[in-house]
Amino acid sequence: MAFPSIAPTSRSFDAGSYPFKTFTAQNGSEVRILYGDKRTGMTLDLAYNNIADTDADDFIAHYDETKGGFTSFTLPAAFRTGWSGNTAAIDAATGNQWRYSDPPTITSVRPGISSVTVKLVGVL
Amino acid sequence: MAKVYTGRDGRLLLDGIEQIKVTNWQLTGSLEMLETTSLGESQRTYTPGVQEFNGSATLLYYNDGTGRNDAATALKKVLRVSGISGGDTVDMRLRLVEGSTDHDVRLTTYITSVSFGASVGEVSSAQISFQGTGALTEVTI
Repeated sequence: MAFPSIAPTSRSFDAGSYPFKTFTAQNGSEVRILYGDKRTGMTLDLAYNNIADTDADDFIAHYDETKGGFTSFTLPAAFRTGWSGNTAAIDAATGNQWRYSDPPTITSVRPGISSVTVKLVGVL
Repeated sequence: MAKVYTGRDGRLLLDGIEQIKVTNWQLTGSLEMLETTSLGESQRTYTPGVQEFNGSATLLYYNDGTGRNDAATALKKVLRVSGISGGDTVDMRLRLVEGSTDHDVRLTTYITSVSFGASVGEVSSAQISFQGTGALTEVTI
């Protein structure tokens, strides 16, 4: 199954960076070597508060399907709900896909209702 | 027939015993709301969470002719040498009577706080607060 198509309650996006190394000489001058031209390592934290348990278990099913953080995947448009900027700006950058950086967590709130948090990282 | 309820219609029963010299009682029921607003929505949305019931009552510290003192009995739910255990619940009925008809709210409670004292020129009374546990067991209001 695909990643659940549910509008999140909150979303936090970190843009990641380009792969480069910095070498600083004794006189203080700095040399930087760029190892790639694609931005990567972006992170995305999604929270889904007070959703039905039957929706919450979809995240675990998807986590199983992707073998945890092993397989990368794309996200449905629902994760961007409420974002009115460039759609690509908060998605995995060109050449990247998402994978789980941590297992999804489910917090049971009351019978039938749970909150889910998902942490993803963009990888090339 | 129209009916206005007053303090004269109020009764308080603890463990099935109608308390004597009750001057007031109050029950509050509340419902916790869980927010379900998601990104992209302009109005907050909610789903019901858990309910809670609690309240308070005041009884005059009064000995009837037989030595019965309901205020003291209630006070001793908390003011005791031994600790409180899970079984120390009180079956509480808050009642308004209308002729032979009782309008009850019944619930299982713990007495959570008590206070009493003596003041010059005042009748001694005991104030108790209670916290409901579980669902209401009867509602006939």
